[in-house]
Amino acid sequence: MKDARLLCAVYSLLIGLGLAYVIALGVLHR
Amino acid sequence: MKRFLRDNGLGLVFGLGFLLTLAGQALAGHADYNDQQVSYGAEPVSLGEYLTSSSFGVDVAENWQSEYLQFALYAVGTVWLVQRGSPESKKPEDIGPESEADQLIGAHARAGSPRWAKTGGWRTALYSSSLGLVMGSIFLVAWTAQSIAGWAAYNADQLSQRQDPVSWGDYLGAAEFWNRTLQNWQSELLAVGSFAVLAIFLRQRGSPESKRVGDEHAVTADSG
Repeated sequence: MKDARLLCAVYSLLIGLGLAYVIALGVLHR
Repeated sequence: MKRFLRDNGLGLVFGLGFLLTLAGQALAGHADYNDQQVSYGAEPVSLGEYLTSSSFGVDVAENWQSEYLQFALYAVGTVWLVQRGSPESKKPEDIGPESEADQLIGAHARAGSPRWAKTGGWRTALYSSSLGLVMGSIFLVAWTAQSIAGWAAYNADQLSQRQDPVSWGDYLGAAEFWNRTLQNWQSELLAVGSFAVLAIFLRQRGSPESKRVGDEHAVTADSG
């Protein structure tokens, strides 16, 4: 399950960073 | 290493595919953006400028939100809605959240069950809906991200056409926002609905998303 937890963390990070990046782009360019 | 790749193939291949197609989207989106810039008589932008533009952001987020909406609706909708004969559905007699015994909750939990399945109370209630809640939350944040980046991109267009920018609230009621949103929702709903129904009669040998090849059409199985 250690591998699965690592994959889960990587996916969560991708989603979180991606969403934060898009929100930041919108806020900075508003 | 070999075992790691075999045991995690689904997550790894789809994750890698995501990164490659996102890179492809960045390149194609940059070229398309510059085609439009040139047609307006504006200067082309660098790849770096495009990747930090709200135009790139809204294109990414509008697709993300609809995918997470699809999975959130699917996780929650399949608790209450069934499709007789579909491997995506449980049996009609099991409609609803099911009993604690069926779900291995509280006193019915097993030794290896997750801790929050055993404790009862709010922890078990929360954990029992965690998949839908997390998918639904990602949908809401992604839809909000789409609205903010879309608003910025919309106003950049307005200004380039010497028109007044709009407020975020006005953008939420704008045809452009709903066109972007609904064109993604309609495709997800069609794909999910048709998959659930077509899988009654069609088979994919070896896939857990399909019934077994020899299963009767009327059998509502939850795996192959």
